[in-house]
Amino acid sequence: MAKDSDRRDLFPGALELMILQSLRFRPMHGYALVKHIQQVSDNLLQVEEGSLYPALQRLLREGLLDSEAGTSAKGRPTRIYRVTDAGLRHLEQEVSSFEKMFAGITRVLAVDQA
Amino acid sequence: MSFLSKLFRRRRYDDLTVSIREHIAERADELVAEGRSRAEAEQAARREFGNVALIEQKSREAWQWPTAESVFADIRFALRQLIKSPGFTLTAVVTLALGIAVNATMFSMVSAFLLPHIPGRDTQNMVVVSSVNPDAQMTPDTNPVSAPNYFAWRGKTRVFSAMSADDAYRDGSLSRPGEQPESVSYSAVAPNYFTVFGLAPVLGRAFLAGEDQPGHDHVLILSHGLWERRFGSDPSIVGRTVRLNREDYVVAGVMPNDFHLLAFTPQLWTPLTLTAADHAAAARNNRSLYLFARLAPGVTLQQVRAQMSIAAQQAQKDFPATEQRWGVSVRTLRDFLIYNFNIGTALAVMMCIVGFVLLIACANVAGLLLTRAVGRQKELAIRMSLGASRVRVVRQLLTEGIVIALVGGGVGLFLAYFGIRVISAGLSFNDAVADVHVAMDTKVLLFAAVVSFVAAVLSSVAPALKASRTEINTDLKSEGRGSSSGREHNRLRVFLVGGEIALALFLLIGSCLLIRGVYVLGHQKLGFRRDHVLTAGLVLDKARYADSSKQDQFVRGLAAQLRQIPGVERVAVASDLPGSGAGSVPIHIKGQPESRSNELHSAMDAVVTPDYFSAVGVPLLHGRAFTASDDGTAPRVVIVNQEFVHKYFQDRDPIGKQIQLDTPGVAAGWSEIVGVVGDVKTYSGLPNVDPEVYEPWMQRPVAWFSVMLRSSVDPDSLTPALRHVLAQLDPELPPLRVMSMDQVIDLQQRGNPLFEKLLGTFAILALVLSAIGIYGLVAYSVGQRTQEIGIRLALGAKAADISRMILREGFKVAAIGSAIGFVFALPLPRLFESMFQGLIVGAPEVYPIVLAAMLVVAFGAIFGPAQRAARVDPTAALRSE
Repeated sequence: MAKDSDRRDLFPGALELMILQSLRFRPMHGYALVKHIQQVSDNLLQVEEGSLYPALQRLLREGLLDSEAGTSAKGRPTRIYRVTDAGLRHLEQEVSSFEKMFAGITRVLAVDQA
Repeated sequence: MSFLSKLFRRRRYDDLTVSIREHIAERADELVAEGRSRAEAEQAARREFGNVALIEQKSREAWQWPTAESVFADIRFALRQLIKSPGFTLTAVVTLALGIAVNATMFSMVSAFLLPHIPGRDTQNMVVVSSVNPDAQMTPDTNPVSAPNYFAWRGKTRVFSAMSADDAYRDGSLSRPGEQPESVSYSAVAPNYFTVFGLAPVLGRAFLAGEDQPGHDHVLILSHGLWERRFGSDPSIVGRTVRLNREDYVVAGVMPNDFHLLAFTPQLWTPLTLTAADHAAAARNNRSLYLFARLAPGVTLQQVRAQMSIAAQQAQKDFPATEQRWGVSVRTLRDFLIYNFNIGTALAVMMCIVGFVLLIACANVAGLLLTRAVGRQKELAIRMSLGASRVRVVRQLLTEGIVIALVGGGVGLFLAYFGIRVISAGLSFNDAVADVHVAMDTKVLLFAAVVSFVAAVLSSVAPALKASRTEINTDLKSEGRGSSSGREHNRLRVFLVGGEIALALFLLIGSCLLIRGVYVLGHQKLGFRRDHVLTAGLVLDKARYADSSKQDQFVRGLAAQLRQIPGVERVAVASDLPGSGAGSVPIHIKGQPESRSNELHSAMDAVVTPDYFSAVGVPLLHGRAFTASDDGTAPRVVIVNQEFVHKYFQDRDPIGKQIQLDTPGVAAGWSEIVGVVGDVKTYSGLPNVDPEVYEPWMQRPVAWFSVMLRSSVDPDSLTPALRHVLAQLDPELPPLRVMSMDQVIDLQQRGNPLFEKLLGTFAILALVLSAIGIYGLVAYSVGQRTQEIGIRLALGAKAADISRMILREGFKVAAIGSAIGFVFALPLPRLFESMFQGLIVGAPEVYPIVLAAMLVVAFGAIFGPAQRAARVDPTAALRSE
């Protein structure tokens, strides 16, 4: 059965944000991407395959990612994803708006506590 | 979607598959490294990844134009599914095709008669002003207007920016010099007639302002149809001379092809000449003008109606002798033309009937889809367990319904093409109807598309919703042994079939009542003998027969010669054929107080030769018939009918009493009643009889009359002899309609057989469809219960018990449905009588007969499957599945 991944998403666009950030310095294939996010977040974030592949396709369609034929660590054929210039710009915009939003949320929470 | 982008997408999808395959493989490797076996690892990796197909689909959707691709896929899938079960598909498609075909066919008439194209500029601002006849039976508010009223009303420039008059339905003879004349129907119109419509001829010019003056009025404008047919579309026709009623007319123009105004579409137009006599008070009795007007800017229909009703009241006050009780009516042009045609009610009833037929067809298809859905429950359960959402499954099933309806709609349109041809062939019984072009136009196509879509939704929504409520577990596990959802499907089917039978019975009773009513009207006793009479219409033109003595002379000569024809027993000439609705005139009775009330006495007025009553077989009851001595020099005499005696003399003997007729253009004077004759129906197609006065021909000859020959031989065989006599007397005088009286009456009622045939066809269709419906229900239920029946048989039930059980269950549905339909049909006679003027339905025997017929047909439909149920082999039934 398909797991309901939407409920575990932080907010719309969060997964895309993390994908772009992860691929920013090192192009990877799908499996490596899942592993990478898992490790970097100390297992706090687990990317659902059910969300990852549709998200990758959306980013490809919007031209934020590019893909090329490549091989995995084990030498099997796969697709390697890399961020495009447009993807970089998009990432920067999103990060700054995310930071603003995060700051906003933090402040609201702080007021609540007081 | 272009081929290239499709190819491109295919590669994208392949890349995606490669990615996912690698992903799972890598995870499996990792699990192996953790110490699991290869097989176990691969399985676990797959499980963790989730539903590969679903994720692939969702990923692909990122590329797709919202859901179009999946819709295409659904349609492809639906087509494959439908092709796989041709029996089901054929039944469903044919059922819907029939339903859609009858709807499209009937709608072609609606499109032609109720949604006609009205030629002209801004026709929504055009109105028709007509008189309201206090004594008329049919559409009393479309009576033409008298010339004095036309003169008074066209001056109301505050409400009308322009008004024109049309003296319609004239008959004349048309020829080119040296050619055989032919009779034509024409209109005399005021010179501004075409200008009021904002239309110009395609050739030549419209009438000029002075052309309504005597001496300048010998110009005419041809209709496009006549120009094509009679003059071979000759572009140089304008300016040429043709002969109309033996006088030379110059062709001024040819109107465009689309200038059709339903019943107001003559073959040619001449200018309407109105003289000083038309201004006189006496002219008020001569109501022959239809007034077409254009509203002044900013004036509403309500304002015009208010203004005109004041004008009518004024006329009543100023001219009580002629205007009393007469009113005025204003309708928009479109409204008037459609209303005047008086076909709306019949079409509305027919559309209701075909709507019901379609509903029955939809119920049948819904039943079929339900059956199919039960058969496919496992397939649906598998699809849902693989991640198809409910919406997706419903959409898939709806797509199937829509594909069926669209194919059915296509086939239906194909059938409707022939239906429309049959109908338009049947719609030629009079000039006005024949002129209306019934065809499969864009309105019909659009209607068929909408109907197909509605049919699709009606027939597939319930089954689709029902089927999608599939319980995955129970349906995958159960082997379909009468599972609960199966029974629920059956309940819905019982409901559908019951409703369908109720509708069919309602429709059958309604159709039978109407057919019977129309039949009775068409076969009523008319009051005269219609057999062995040949008739011909003649119009004596003013050019050769200027005064009444010349007319009288011609008629005497004609009658004398016709009597010489072998086989002719009697010859009569009359202003009107019996049963064809003679004109009505106001009357006064000597010695009776002149109506203190508003009521003016009136009676139909016909002028007849002495032989008339014996020639057409109207019995003389009292007094005497006319004789040759009742001529212009003798005292004026009249004969009245029984209804006249009943209404005006309270059935007392009227012989010797004096009455006076206000006939337009005739010097007033008292006439003595010398005889009483039997009643003749006013119209051959209506049950009523009006008071009627007959005047002797020689005391008041008319120019427009019919000749009747009572013969001892087949009347049609006398046609050549009649034509020969006429041609010898006057070669330039074409007879209007040479036909037997039987043909005349058939022609007047030609609409009835078509109406009856259509009603009968629809009723039988409804009966057959509902029989198929109940057959399907019972056959399906027998199939579902094969095992149950097997068990019953194994436990000792007799075959006869089994078939009786099945019969009882099927019959129960039929009986309940019939009862509901029966109850709903009870108020139909009163409804029909109020809708169709003159129709007397009162036929209670129709109810039990139709009910019995319905139940017999239902029984026949159930009988087959019930017999089959009894022949179930218990061992085979128990082993199956």
